[in-house]
Amino acid sequence: MTEFETRLAAELTRRRFLQGTALTGVAAFVAACGTTGSGSSAPEESAGESAVPSASEAAEAQSPSAELSFANWPLYIDTDDEDETKHKTLEDFTAKYGTIVNYSEVINDNDEFFGTIRPALDGGQDTGWDLVVLTDWMAGRLIRLGWTEAFDLANMPNKVANMQDVYKGVDFDPTDDHHAPWQSGMTGLGYDSEVTGDLTSLAALWTDDPRWKGKVTFLTEMRDTIGLTLNHLGKDPSQISEADFDAAVAEIQTALDAGIIRAFTGNDYAEDLVSGNVVLAMAWSGDVIAKQAEKETLVWQLPDEGGMLWTDNMLIPKGAANKYTAELFIDFVYDPEIAAQIAAWVNYVTPVKGAKEVLAASDPELAESPLIFPPDDVLANVSIFKLLTEDEETTFNDKFSSLTGN
Amino acid sequence: MRARQWLIRLTPYLLLTPGILWLLVFYAYPSVQMFISSFWSGTLETGFTVSLDNWTTYPEALERYGPQFGRSIVYGAAATTICFLIAYPLAYTIAFRGGRYKSLLLFLVIAPFFTSFLLRTQSWKIILGDDGILFGPLKDLGILGPDFRVLATPTAVVAGIAYNFLPFMTLPIYVSLEKIDGRLVEAAKDLFAGPWRPGGTIAGGVVGGVAAAGLAAAFQYDVVMLALLGIVGGVLIGTFFLSESFVRIVLPLSLPGVFAGSLLTFIPAMGDFVNAELLGNTQTRMIGNVIQSRFLDNNDYPTAAALSFMLMAGILIAVAVYARLLGTKELTSS
Repeated sequence: MTEFETRLAAELTRRRFLQGTALTGVAAFVAACGTTGSGSSAPEESAGESAVPSASEAAEAQSPSAELSFANWPLYIDTDDEDETKHKTLEDFTAKYGTIVNYSEVINDNDEFFGTIRPALDGGQDTGWDLVVLTDWMAGRLIRLGWTEAFDLANMPNKVANMQDVYKGVDFDPTDDHHAPWQSGMTGLGYDSEVTGDLTSLAALWTDDPRWKGKVTFLTEMRDTIGLTLNHLGKDPSQISEADFDAAVAEIQTALDAGIIRAFTGNDYAEDLVSGNVVLAMAWSGDVIAKQAEKETLVWQLPDEGGMLWTDNMLIPKGAANKYTAELFIDFVYDPEIAAQIAAWVNYVTPVKGAKEVLAASDPELAESPLIFPPDDVLANVSIFKLLTEDEETTFNDKFSSLTGN
Repeated sequence: MRARQWLIRLTPYLLLTPGILWLLVFYAYPSVQMFISSFWSGTLETGFTVSLDNWTTYPEALERYGPQFGRSIVYGAAATTICFLIAYPLAYTIAFRGGRYKSLLLFLVIAPFFTSFLLRTQSWKIILGDDGILFGPLKDLGILGPDFRVLATPTAVVAGIAYNFLPFMTLPIYVSLEKIDGRLVEAAKDLFAGPWRPGGTIAGGVVGGVAAAGLAAAFQYDVVMLALLGIVGGVLIGTFFLSESFVRIVLPLSLPGVFAGSLLTFIPAMGDFVNAELLGNTQTRMIGNVIQSRFLDNNDYPTAAALSFMLMAGILIAVAVYARLLGTKELTSS
């Protein structure tokens, strides 16, 4: 080959390789970005499925439809030990009404899921989901925006009769016809008793103790972290004012400055508790119980000053194709037998009256668990965070973001 | 006949059309949309309105998140430097001493990419755990104090970024080193190019000292001690491993690869948020984290859009300056 041809061949190869590398790099980077937002693909698939039975609401209101699309958090329904895709509760529902439930554990974070359904709801379209489970404040936001369907309470006698009194008449839904509590949980102290000893007070989180300094995590969930801090300061989270909020932020800042707090985490504190990176955390009740199987010395403790109670709620998004069937499902899970079945597996607080008696017959030990069936004195010692207006929410989130470094 | 000629002249543009359409729909339009949204004011529930008066979003965002911007630049530069220091010898060895094992070694460099970015970073979290496989035994032996930790510090974040982007730096450098004609190096040796003695020692000492001191200052380690270590290490490497033929022939010829590699590493590293989220703490937040939080958690779209644009503009300026410094002629000539 002539010198020119060799040079040309070499140049083309190099340039193409560099371009190929660049393209691979960009593709890899985009793919990496894509993995965090993968929740958005699920609604599109279900939208295709549930758009098929396009019966009008009047005709559909009388009989259960062929399919129901249900979005939920992970580990939030009884699951078969052998086969993770089998859920007895859903199979029982299918046996009773003949509806196939398309169950998807796509919700990992309230804001993230909200981001996926917002465009459809904003445009007045079907999100593809008939039933979603979201925490109080996010449920409150959806109801405030008018993006949920009102229940026909005549279709759910079980819910009306069996919902525990503490959930009635919440400020974001005074008439109780836009949401139905799914499970409740409590936020308190989670710790490794082998390292820290027994702790009962929130003051531990602010104590510069060498056993846990630098190994403490708070939650990125603003309402839980600020709520517990307010309990520590002796204020009431259900009546929080902006001054209270600022006081809480200042208090958390002292812990940050003292080097006590390691990080603000989401659910990942549970893994860190098991691995020992974290020995004391603001923790959610069910998580710690689940992790006790891996590390027996983990303890969840409701602090003396009080913990936080939060509830995840079932909502029917506006424009859902199978509203009547969704109402039937809500009614179904408020049957004490079914509620006991779910509670026995998920280990969270069940909102259904009568589930305890059912469980007492089959598994007395679980029926006595204060975490699944908190006794009255426990329930008296937890607070529910106040429902914020939109302005308050923006301001509070803003200030909290500054605290977490964002 | 005329129609055919016309078609032939149009062909390049027709071939470009799919690419241009793709860019228009998936890049140009969203960028414009994002730019407009940076001039929004309002909230999710009350709706957003566009107004030129909202240009204040930019200086406000810059003032509020200046520290995170600065941090991203520092971490990105640190990670790029570390990547360069590791990747250059690696690429050099593969290119010049690889022999039969070149393909295998290259495969090993790329192999981590077969797992997801998130999983790789998560695995580093496990490896770097306080009592994990790396530090547990060291702590048991008493070499490290019980309070020592790497996770949730800037060190872990930069190490994570450097690890994740190492192949991006290695491969371009390898490619340009591979291209170098071995006869040039032989000719240099014929012309009495030997070890680069006084120059190598000095250059090694200076580069090692400056790099170590810079990294130490950025992460609040003991500057003096690390600078000394850097000088000693640099002097050793400079005296025994740098030859004149390397410095005068190989290094300049490999500059296009170095340029491409540093760009491919620095630009994504600056915008990275996964490493800061998984391996860092509240003091190590980068601009990527801020944009994500503003957008998803706070629904503050104007600020997020403004930050994204400033990030893009900043990187463009930095790349332009960098290109000037290296000399654009270097990039395209062989």
